[in-house]
Amino acid sequence: MRKRVETYLRGFFERNSRYFSHGGRLYPLASLFEAIETIFFTPAIAAGKAPYVRDGVDLKRFMSIVLLALVPPLIFGIYNTGYHSRLAIGSDLSFFSVVATGLKIVMPLIIVSYGVGFFWEALFSAIRKHPISEGFLVTGLLFPMTLPPTVPLWQVAVGISFGVVIGKEVFGGTGRNIFNPALTARAFLFFAYPARMSGDSVWVAVSGAASSAVSAVSGATPLSITTLAPGFKTFESQLHQSGFSLTNLFFGLYPGCVADSSALCCLIGALILIITGVASYRIILGGVAGLLVTSFGFGLISQAPLNPWININPLYHLLAGGFAFGIVYMATDPVSAPGTTASKWVYGFLIGLLTVMIRVINPAFPEGVMLAILFMNLFSPLFDVVEIRIRAGKRIPNV
Amino acid sequence: MKTVRIKKGWRFKIAGRPTDQQEIRLASQTVALVVDKLPFVKPLLLVKEGDSVNIGSSLFSDKKNPDIKFLSPGGGRVSAIHYGPRRVIEEIVISLDKSENQETFDAFTEKALDHTSRDSLIAGLMTRGMWPLIRQLPFRSIADPKSQPSAIWISLGSADPFQPLSQVYLKGQEEFFTFGVRALSRMSDRINICWYGDIPPGFDFLNESVTHRITGEYPATDPGVVLYHTKTTPAENQDWYINGQDVIGIGKCLKTGVYPVDRIVAFSDGTPENSRHLKTRTGIRLQDLAAGLSIGPDKQWIVGGILSGDATASDKYLDLNQTSIMIVDVSPQSEMFGFLRPGLHRLSRSRTLISTFSSALLPVNTDMHGEIRPCINCGYCASVCPVDILPQFTCKSLWADEIEEALAYGLLDCVECGLCSFVCPSKIELAECLKDARKHYHKELNQVA
Ligand code: SF4
Ligand code: SF4
Repeated sequence: MRKRVETYLRGFFERNSRYFSHGGRLYPLASLFEAIETIFFTPAIAAGKAPYVRDGVDLKRFMSIVLLALVPPLIFGIYNTGYHSRLAIGSDLSFFSVVATGLKIVMPLIIVSYGVGFFWEALFSAIRKHPISEGFLVTGLLFPMTLPPTVPLWQVAVGISFGVVIGKEVFGGTGRNIFNPALTARAFLFFAYPARMSGDSVWVAVSGAASSAVSAVSGATPLSITTLAPGFKTFESQLHQSGFSLTNLFFGLYPGCVADSSALCCLIGALILIITGVASYRIILGGVAGLLVTSFGFGLISQAPLNPWININPLYHLLAGGFAFGIVYMATDPVSAPGTTASKWVYGFLIGLLTVMIRVINPAFPEGVMLAILFMNLFSPLFDVVEIRIRAGKRIPNV
Repeated sequence: MKTVRIKKGWRFKIAGRPTDQQEIRLASQTVALVVDKLPFVKPLLLVKEGDSVNIGSSLFSDKKNPDIKFLSPGGGRVSAIHYGPRRVIEEIVISLDKSENQETFDAFTEKALDHTSRDSLIAGLMTRGMWPLIRQLPFRSIADPKSQPSAIWISLGSADPFQPLSQVYLKGQEEFFTFGVRALSRMSDRINICWYGDIPPGFDFLNESVTHRITGEYPATDPGVVLYHTKTTPAENQDWYINGQDVIGIGKCLKTGVYPVDRIVAFSDGTPENSRHLKTRTGIRLQDLAAGLSIGPDKQWIVGGILSGDATASDKYLDLNQTSIMIVDVSPQSEMFGFLRPGLHRLSRSRTLISTFSSALLPVNTDMHGEIRPCINCGYCASVCPVDILPQFTCKSLWADEIEEALAYGLLDCVECGLCSFVCPSKIELAECLKDARKHYHKELNQVA
């Protein structure tokens, strides 16, 4: 069976490759054809230069591992989205119907993101005559996973277009971009359509049987609770009361973005990424350390808080607001992070620090992580330059 | 004895390591002196096609320093001088006689050696054809006889399991080795003898002379790596180095007065049955090394180490100072859904393939295992570089023509080990870029001078 499929596919690509070769009718789409062909068949290219033996890893595999690590939060996110959607309208919460509802809400977001993003990707690679980069497979999935489930599809399309075109292609394509494209897209939507991205009414998508339109019901996220309501002794008890106990924040069964609510799933993803060596543990640990240290420090110095998030158990900062998702999947994007080792610690640490600062000082931006990462993306080339200089200075000159 | 621990590098998990068994391989009809692989040498021919030569007759000298002679590895007739593109001499082929005659030189006694001046010893090594075996960092050129190195590095054994074992080539040659060391010590105050790993029983005579014990993975034993991890002043950058087997050669040449052409080569065709040490001679035709084996045409022959070596072919000859021949499969057919396979049998340094978690030795081929992509700044290349270069940034500055910057980043410390290109998931030719830049810079320096 497999043999037959393989023979058929080989024949298919061989027959059609002439249209895409130089002078063929579809030559402008050559990179698209090549991208599709190489998904099916890893090309056999002999090393033309020393070393004549090469490592078995390539960018396809590298990015596939990131996709693999995104599977746990994605599956949980589908369930979570479906669960809260059905909970809001009081339907039954049996496992399969919850998953079905979740899929109905989440899949369109992913399909639009991949479809529109892939269009831009293919267009630019056709113009620039470079191969389509596998990095897009990650961007196209990451982006919808960070959106509120109620987001209109046209905004997904606009967002991913912005992320791919402005976040990546204007810099010269993959490898040259300063910002993480998925985050760029997310930030663009956040500032362009704030009503759809924050507030209390965007986190639960309701797709009733009667209307296919997606509408929203009210539901707060932990970070949108910024004042100590009367009647509560402590802010923690208030969070607890609203359903945001540490345990619940850890498992993630609360309304939020499509797939960034569960710290547990992010932890599983982090383990996959660290064990395979695809993401830098330095960034992740640095980030967690930065966040805990800063929030602990704030707790020490602040007496009368303007914002209860100032002196709270630092674990709340760690588990709430998509920090885990951001530091594991977004901050570790190697292209927009620094490449040198000490810089990775600093970069991670500052992301953690900034996240807390933004949450505490400006509660209008509950998306602290996102802004913190984007901001540090901007500085990562600088970190690299500084570390390279220091390292070069330590060498015994050899000229 | 100082222990030098090299932390970065990579342990080859490649199948077909040569065993310590030995076999003799004779040259069938021709041998050759490979010319174009000699670093930075401009040959000035001293023979023409049809001339008859002995083992040890001068074939050519270096234009820049005509005292440096390159001698014939065989006795017979110069049957061909092969030219490559732009009339570069590739090799000088000698058809062997039945009775190969030897040139003879004056032999040295220990006393004579100790009383010769440094200059006349150097001159002696140049006429005896042994000089080209002494190399100089950082460009790995043939040592400049006028320079005064702060040390000469002798490497015994290699972290690359596809290079000959020092136990094998030292056995029975102890006397020549010691004589060679004695000769070298006339040229520099410091002779650093590096041994890889522990000194096995039976080689106690080395206990006193070995100065550095090297541990670590490939390319820990490269003299450039050891130097990088031990140097304290920039003056050491131009140290000389020589392979242990060539020290034996120098000892033999000086002591007996004949030009030595014997050589022990680590040979591997990827199978445990055929991979072993071969007792053979320099300049042998490579297919003679594989005599009796059926090696198909779809194979890549590599000379000088799996990752740092050059491509060669069965009808080429063994270079003057090379000691390792490896035959690997040319890439097979493309694989369906290759990137989704767990990769049980595919070699990788990264941990993205299952094979990482097993210690089994794996077969290799010349496949790139992927396509060229832009650099994603993953840092893999920097994490293997044994001399702490950041290859991705150094290459970026070279592509932008910022040579000064690349030099500051350590361009000249690069030992051309090839690990950075090997590990890159984007398949960027980093090692090639650095190698070219080094060559270029060397030429530039020598034009000005
Ligand atoms: S290994 Fe390749 S992709 Fe990674 S940083 Fe080095 S050059 Fe860039
Ligand atoms: S730069 Fe590359 S080739 Fe040079 S020493 Fe480092 S790893 Fe080896």
